[in-house]
Amino acid sequence: MKTALVTGGGAGLGRAIVERLLAEGWRVVSVDRAEGTTVPGLEHLACDLADRHAVDALAERLGGMGPFGLAVFNAGVSATGRFEAIPIEAYRRLMTVNAETPMLLSAGLVRTGQMAGPMCFVSSLSHFTGYPGAAVYAASKDALAVYAKSVRKPFARRGVSVTLACPGPLRTDHARRHAPAGADADRRMPPEVAARIILDATLAGRRLVVPGRANRSVALAGRLLPGTMMRQMRRLIFDRLQGEVW
Amino acid sequence: MPRQKRILITGATSGIGLALVVRHAPDAAVLATGRRSAEEARRVLPDGVAYVQADQRHPERAVAAILSALDDLGWDRLDLAVLNAGTGHAVDPAGETPQMLRDVLDANLFCAVTLAQALRPRLEAGQGRLVLIGSTARKGAAGFASYAAAKAGLHGFARALAEEWRGRIAVQVVHPGPTDTGMHARAGHDPGRLVRLFARTGTMARLIDAAIARGRTVETISFARFLGRGEGGR
Repeated sequence: MKTALVTGGGAGLGRAIVERLLAEGWRVVSVDRAEGTTVPGLEHLACDLADRHAVDALAERLGGMGPFGLAVFNAGVSATGRFEAIPIEAYRRLMTVNAETPMLLSAGLVRTGQMAGPMCFVSSLSHFTGYPGAAVYAASKDALAVYAKSVRKPFARRGVSVTLACPGPLRTDHARRHAPAGADADRRMPPEVAARIILDATLAGRRLVVPGRANRSVALAGRLLPGTMMRQMRRLIFDRLQGEVW
Repeated sequence: MPRQKRILITGATSGIGLALVVRHAPDAAVLATGRRSAEEARRVLPDGVAYVQADQRHPERAVAAILSALDDLGWDRLDLAVLNAGTGHAVDPAGETPQMLRDVLDANLFCAVTLAQALRPRLEAGQGRLVLIGSTARKGAAGFASYAAAKAGLHGFARALAEEWRGRIAVQVVHPGPTDTGMHARAGHDPGRLVRLFARTGTMARLIDAAIARGRTVETISFARFLGRGEGGR
């Protein structure tokens, strides 16, 4: 039985990915800040991915659990509101969870020969659109996206394909907490759908996956007219945010 | 008489940062920061430039040192902050240790985020301008993966912040192409004969100042922009 690693497997997209993998017969190691129940085929590791000491210990522990036939670096947190109104400690945690930890874990797994299959980094549609009202989140997701692009060839030489996933808004608690006033949750993609699309693309070794046709249109518009899209994002999100959430 | 401009430049003891200091020191009050000791910095900086040692691999400490230096100077407003400090390693990404990754992300990206927040009141008071120095590597670089990632982060951060702060503080990100800064050598990378095509730091500093004057949120100063310009392109 092949083993998959999923970070942020306790909720939202991560949980949907874990459940799908279990249904397909994978053995899953799920890492999450919250404690979780361990069921047959699923091993839960509780770890605060914003804590450097905890991450170092996790990296060591994962070294003895592989090889992994798949790794999905999905864990992420956000901080929405006016940039200057959110404490720097929250940004420190965000940058560590979203960018530093997945880079460090992936490099460690590849270096130690613990990866025996594809790898996926979950960034965000904000990589294409920008995200006023979440400038540091946008920074962390851009950093992760370009890390994925940068390591694709060097990791491929070691037999590890790298997929960059840029999902748009999902129907998760995470999105609900950070959505602007009046946002329509029904228009967000169910996490189960995004999980299926992202896993299929990762197992096929695709370079990039943006789940959903509407999201792909948004990504294209952001590429073609970045300034226009950024101003539109301001109207849609920043101007409608009611206070800060982190 | 118009008041003298107050300018903060980070990573200012070598490379593009030093070239920017040299350009601005004759007309403006400049606070330079860098990793080197004050004594070492004195040897390279022009006279009259204030200096504070701030190792950006430790963002919280670096920012505290810079704020304290601004207090000592009595600068409650800033006209321009150029966040230029950067560091990288030329290494197979699988060989990047946790310490290397953390240093690169902290020094290039998180320190800039922390500084942007800490400098905001002074920039707002001075109706000032925040300029982040990125890199053309921000689209991805196999031999500089974490550096490319950090610079991409600066790009996304600057674009979003420019929109948030529109009308209050101008925010720009400028991406220089390959420049003869010595950074490649320090990073353990030998660019070989290609280095002859790299922009000289003085040329790059001039082009960065021109980009700042144009005021666009995103500017890229690629090979094509500096080849064939003054000093034989260099």
